[in-house]
Amino acid sequence: MKLAAFVSDYRMTVDTLERLKPEKLGIILVGNGVYHATIKENGSASLLLNTAADFYALSEDLETRGLSSSSVDSKVKVVTYGDVVDLIFNDYDKTAWI
Amino acid sequence: MATTKLGFIVQRPPYKSENPKLALTHAIASQSVEVYLNDGDVVTADVAFIGDGVLNCLKDQKAMEQYDLSSTESHIKMGLLVDLNILVCKEDLEKLGLTENDIVLDAEEFGADLKINVVPYQDINKMMEEMNHLLFF
Repeated sequence: MKLAAFVSDYRMTVDTLERLKPEKLGIILVGNGVYHATIKENGSASLLLNTAADFYALSEDLETRGLSSSSVDSKVKVVTYGDVVDLIFNDYDKTAWI
Repeated sequence: MATTKLGFIVQRPPYKSENPKLALTHAIASQSVEVYLNDGDVVTADVAFIGDGVLNCLKDQKAMEQYDLSSTESHIKMGLLVDLNILVCKEDLEKLGLTENDIVLDAEEFGADLKINVVPYQDINKMMEEMNHLLFF
């Protein structure tokens, strides 16, 4: 299964992502999930970025929060809404909102 | 003649819910209640951003451009314009890798005289002790 998981919270209260073992996992950071891509809490990047996955962050939600693309972790690709649509239709079989 | 002190403590990041913005709108609204008070009575409001709440204070928020939504940044500036005492926790900013350069510090473009104060949590704790009512958001 090729799964695209949307993460919209900064503080995760579930460990579902750790338990999922898809053939291919994409994590799309939206809403407050975009803080995972930029904030270095206590000097360290978000633990979420240690997951074996391809990471994307929605540019509209970064800009809304005053975060610039230059502050995004190198593991994360900044994408637009249009790009997300392409990812869903072309790269992944299923989507999930975590 | 009495002064009622309200303390609004914002501990959640912006936009996921209206919650942090409500703290600001309530604090701002508290400054327009004179018509309901007796002569000489006053209501003051202090706002403190702690924990992930400090993320509300990041500058250059483009909520209006992206979602046609007034930004939390603009609400903070309106708060300064009505002379709210706004505090930001220094330790929590540092914990998230942020500095004073990353956040809104004033609203000079609106003519506000007050500035945001970045202070140690100890000062926010002292503020909370001085309030008559505390509201957590």
